Amino acid sequence: MWDMPKIWVFRGLKKGILTTAYPKSQPTSEEVPTASLPPRPTDAVDWSAGERGCPTGAIDSGGKRVDLGRCVYCRLCSSAGFTFDDGSGSRAGALQAGLTGRHAAGARRIFGRSLHVMMIDVGSCNACNLEVLNLSNPYYDLSRLGIAFTNSPKHADALIVVGALNPAMVDALKMTYESMPEPKLVLSVGACAISGGIFRSAEGFVSPVGDAIPVDVVVPGCPPSPVQILEGLLLAAGRLKETGAMR
Amino acid sequence: MERLGEKMQLSSVFQAGGLNYALISDTETNKTIISELPLTLSEEFGALLRGSGAKPGSPLVLEASGRVEGYGVFEFPYGPVSWGVPEAGAFSLMTYGERVLKVVPRLNFKKRGIERAVLGRTPEDALLFVERSAGNFSAAYSTCFAAAVEDSLGLEVPSEARWTRAVALELERIHNHLYVFGRLAEAASQNIAATQAHALRERVLRLNSRHFGHRYLFGINSIGGVSRGLPKDERRTLTTEVRLIGREFSELVQYFLSSRIFLDRLQGTAKLTRKDALGLGTVGPSARGSGVQWDDRLTFPLEPYEDIYVNLETEDGEDTMARTMVRVKEVESSTIALRELLDRMPSDGTKSGPHRRRADSLGAGFSFCRVESPSGDLIQAVQLDGGGRVGSLHVRPPSLVNWLPFARSLEGTVFTDFQFAFESFGLSFADSDR
Amino acid sequence: MIPAYLISGLLFGTLALFGAGFALGLFAKKAAYVLGGVGSALGVALSLIALTSGRTVSIDLWLVNSTSHAQLQVSSLNAYFLLISSLVWLGTCLYSVRYDDDYPNSLSSLLLLTILSMVIVLVSGDAFTFLIGWESMTIASFFMILEGKGDKEGVRNAAYLFLAFGEGSSVLIMLSFAGLFSAAGTFSFMGPAARVVTPLGPWIFVTALLGFGLKMGLAPFHMSEWLPIAHSSAPSNASALLSSTLTLMGVYGIIDVVSHLGGYQLWWGWLALTVGGVSALLGALFSSVSEHSKGLPAYSTIENNGMIVVAIGVYLIATYYRLTFLADFALVAALFHAFSHSVSKASLFLLNGWMSKLRGTFDLTSANPVPAGGVRGVGAIGIFTALSLAAVPPLAGFVSEWMILEALFQSFRFGDLASQILGALVGAVVALAAGIMVVTMTKVYGFGILWPKRIAAPGEKGGGYIEGGLAYFAALIVAVGVAAPGVFYLASQAASRMLGANPYGLFVTGLLGVPAPFVILSGSPFGGFSPTFTALAFLSILMVTLAVAGAVRARPPRFGLRVRRTPGWFAGAALADDSSAMYNSFGYSTPIRVMLRFLFRTKESVVQVGPVQRTVIRSPEEYVVDLEVLDVFKKFYDVLAKWALGLSAYTSRKVMPGKLGLYIVYIMAALVFVLTYILLTAG
Repeated sequence: MWDMPKIWVFRGLKKGILTTAYPKSQPTSEEVPTASLPPRPTDAVDWSAGERGCPTGAIDSGGKRVDLGRCVYCRLCSSAGFTFDDGSGSRAGALQAGLTGRHAAGARRIFGRSLHVMMIDVGSCNACNLEVLNLSNPYYDLSRLGIAFTNSPKHADALIVVGALNPAMVDALKMTYESMPEPKLVLSVGACAISGGIFRSAEGFVSPVGDAIPVDVVVPGCPPSPVQILEGLLLAAGRLKETGAMR
Repeated sequence: MERLGEKMQLSSVFQAGGLNYALISDTETNKTIISELPLTLSEEFGALLRGSGAKPGSPLVLEASGRVEGYGVFEFPYGPVSWGVPEAGAFSLMTYGERVLKVVPRLNFKKRGIERAVLGRTPEDALLFVERSAGNFSAAYSTCFAAAVEDSLGLEVPSEARWTRAVALELERIHNHLYVFGRLAEAASQNIAATQAHALRERVLRLNSRHFGHRYLFGINSIGGVSRGLPKDERRTLTTEVRLIGREFSELVQYFLSSRIFLDRLQGTAKLTRKDALGLGTVGPSARGSGVQWDDRLTFPLEPYEDIYVNLETEDGEDTMARTMVRVKEVESSTIALRELLDRMPSDGTKSGPHRRRADSLGAGFSFCRVESPSGDLIQAVQLDGGGRVGSLHVRPPSLVNWLPFARSLEGTVFTDFQFAFESFGLSFADSDR
Repeated sequence: MIPAYLISGLLFGTLALFGAGFALGLFAKKAAYVLGGVGSALGVALSLIALTSGRTVSIDLWLVNSTSHAQLQVSSLNAYFLLISSLVWLGTCLYSVRYDDDYPNSLSSLLLLTILSMVIVLVSGDAFTFLIGWESMTIASFFMILEGKGDKEGVRNAAYLFLAFGEGSSVLIMLSFAGLFSAAGTFSFMGPAARVVTPLGPWIFVTALLGFGLKMGLAPFHMSEWLPIAHSSAPSNASALLSSTLTLMGVYGIIDVVSHLGGYQLWWGWLALTVGGVSALLGALFSSVSEHSKGLPAYSTIENNGMIVVAIGVYLIATYYRLTFLADFALVAALFHAFSHSVSKASLFLLNGWMSKLRGTFDLTSANPVPAGGVRGVGAIGIFTALSLAAVPPLAGFVSEWMILEALFQSFRFGDLASQILGALVGAVVALAAGIMVVTMTKVYGFGILWPKRIAAPGEKGGGYIEGGLAYFAALIVAVGVAAPGVFYLASQAASRMLGANPYGLFVTGLLGVPAPFVILSGSPFGGFSPTFTALAFLSILMVTLAVAGAVRARPPRFGLRVRRTPGWFAGAALADDSSAMYNSFGYSTPIRVMLRFLFRTKESVVQVGPVQRTVIRSPEEYVVDLEVLDVFKKFYDVLAKWALGLSAYTSRKVMPGKLGLYIVYIMAALVFVLTYILLTAG
């Protein structure tokens, strides 16, 4: 019996295209899973119970708002009346990356067509790292957008910082930032990087990343899904309006 | 005790209620032995097993062998910021060029201090910390912690909850093994193999998210049960999905096994002898690749594992190929186990009733649990205080004890073998630093 | 017309100055070097006059036998070699004025005696004068090596090794000359003479190739590594002399003997190609893994001499097939390469000698710092030397290596398949050797000059002499490259004695808008190259780059356009300040040691010494004077060594009282005996 020669290339071609349509269209509910949706107050919400139950202090009953930078998406607040998924499956408005306000004008002219990204881990649980790495798998395929990973800050345009800033990594983070050529972008990815997340009371947490180096874009999540990180990158490169639509 | 290191492994050392305990694995009888600490340990080894180690910010340096000197020998520092190892951790490689003479892992670049952070918290709160110790082993961590606490509290956890946890554990095992496989393919520049493995892994992650609500299985456990059970129809679709993924993976393995250049890169690379594997306390697929017969699912079975069939996969190759084949076979046996788990899962509820033990008896003893995480044996020992809060927590992560075997296996290899050894041991700095 | 008395006057003047320097050196070394420098300048003038005029001048000294005079003669061929040597000596003398400070007066005296002997070798018109020059050259060099610093035992062994191989070479050369004598009927065969076609031809050629090749360190004698050991043990100015001009005498000898022979056979060319190709490759490989700052250039000498012999091989085969164009080109290529190698190599020895003196060690791996005052300017000057030996255009080394490779790549013109295949094979080997030299020169420049840490401590200074000597060589290297057509003219003038006519006009022309005489052609039709215009192109690119950089820096700081200095990237860690955390030159070449372990016979082992593990990695290139050789030849040398040991044990018991002086007398006596024997049997 003649056996088909096992050639990787043919197998690769046979599998077809898996890649997401984002950012040409809104992401699907597979790409932004329920667990990545932020808590939303309903009419029957009990703000003070929410604040008491929240392990990271993300819920502010005085201002009646939820600080997504602190939220670890644990859903303990569902008992206080917060909802997460409206059940429609639509992910319009589900993306949450935001600018910090120090983002330079003209980013689109400089980074719009080519963006080299480096990731630095300053004390994460590894989940954010894995989600960043996932951006290069066939489902998200970063390179189709002209974005590439690099492993030296000397080649990097953008720095993705993940994890709760550890005392052992403060110097390394600053050194990495210093080594990047200007102009440069910094993305603070995940609750730990933005606010310390669940670890904000732990001994191994120094400060939010934004206190150590200037941050341009924050991507909330625990961990944010790859599409949400991608949104952050596009936003940093000036390729998205803040509403999440392609510019 | 003189047999320690040959047939018996000293797996962990911890303090509870003011006493020192040693946790010993007898690889001959497959028994876990707990005894009051009978032996004096070298400071370094003791610190390693005790896991308490240093405070955040101070480094933990592990040396598997003595100082190396000689003509032209220099230290090649690697990390803590690198892309080859996408985590914060560093190595010192002693070399005279090309040849790796000694590897010294430098840990604690990301020590968050989980064990101290949970003190005085309710077990439910502590669970949020524990499951974020190592994102890729989250289910193992939370299951281990929950089981230990439930034991302390004397909770009757319904079988369905336990079986659901096992499903999560197996799914976690599959996505981690696929990750290792993909990373090995990347290291060998087998780009199509790598993207296929990562695509398959993405499917498992989406499966996690669809059925458990989180891609990395955060928040699936609660004390006394699981947050969300698997209804009958979901069990059926999950079975189908797992079967498809298993079939696709078998195809991938067929291609892998006929790809000479890929295999060449793994065979004979970074050997870890069985003697070293036992002596250095290696756990998980790395130990089983060197012929050590230990798998917590069989040797320390929690509830569903007594009832279902799990094969103990070992290899005798002692090299990267053997470790990879253990993982490959475990993916296959996990898919089989998953089908059995989903098929025979009882439906008796996902939450336990209130605990029966009186509060004043809580602070007396301690409970421990061992769970086979994707990279091996995870041990946690919990002691609750009188108020039902966490009085002490001891974690012995699998990666922590695998650093020294990893360093030993690299001695005498060349630089390009580093990535293969690192990935095949499935090491994670987040796991070992906690 | 240049009068003959001008040439002979200059010759005697040169000899007298070197002789006076030799005598004066015992009392005042700096004055001796000045005399040596003036003598070298006279030598340059003499050889340039003789070369451009094309005159041959012979001076008969006395009658040896009925057919032979002891005579001195100056012709285009030896004038060319005298030109190269004099240029090297001039720079070496300048450098030595400062470098010699730590050595006794005798070194300057011996250095000038060696130079004097080399002049005699070059201008001898008969076998006897040649051999007298050759022997005194060897003996003077022997004593010069004994002056070397460092491990006394090692230096002594190195000197005796040099002497033994030097005498071996002498014996083979005498055998060759005996053959020439019986064919030509006279001892006055040096210099321009009719070619002889004789059944003894193979004998003469092979003994000459082996004898002179031995002196050049060629395969298979490279196995004993006598040349790197001997050349690296000597004081650095002596090393420069030994490795560039002493081996140049070997090149001269081979070319001169070949010029007296007619009726070349095909296999002579094959032999030369093989010997040359193997020498080039092994020389390059061993050079690349050497950690000795002077052993490394010594191996590179073997590589370059191999290339020269390869070019001679192409010349022989092309002549056999009457491929005049190719034969002419190959011979000129050999001569050109002798020029560029000699100046570059002397420069590298002097450079490394100075750096080693500042570092206090010859070990490239050492982490010793250097005083900043002593190295100021040395790096900028030294880059030309390293680039030339790495064959980077448009410097001297590139032009000649390009010529040799172009000659080899035309081996398809040969008349038989075997020669074609051999030519292509050797072409690949030589190209590989040239490639390895890039790695090697990167290493020697990187770790020898750039790498040592500069410290502000007061220390040795070059005092202008060191820097001057090195700058002189750098200028020479650039000049030989950029003004390659001029050197080409001189080399073809030298070759004209063998070729019958000066082939300059055939090869140097204009092409594609580059005006004549700035293009060198390598065949008709084959390749072409203009070193001068390449240099101009490089220069203009450099100017444009500098202008742009200057313009950018001059602008007011704006978004993205300002110079910001950050520390080097070290994977997020701070750069450790101690030497153990540093990459070193040993690590740089260990991949080659490990990959080619079968060739280097690399042994790796780890020994547990208490809590410390000691690693041992050795390959024969390390400088312990034990005659480690390749497997194939090891047996042969072992047997030879056993015999030699037995014989010397016997003689030392029975004949020799063990005094060094007496031993030298023995050698001289043996030489006289052999010469007399030849005279008697021939007479």
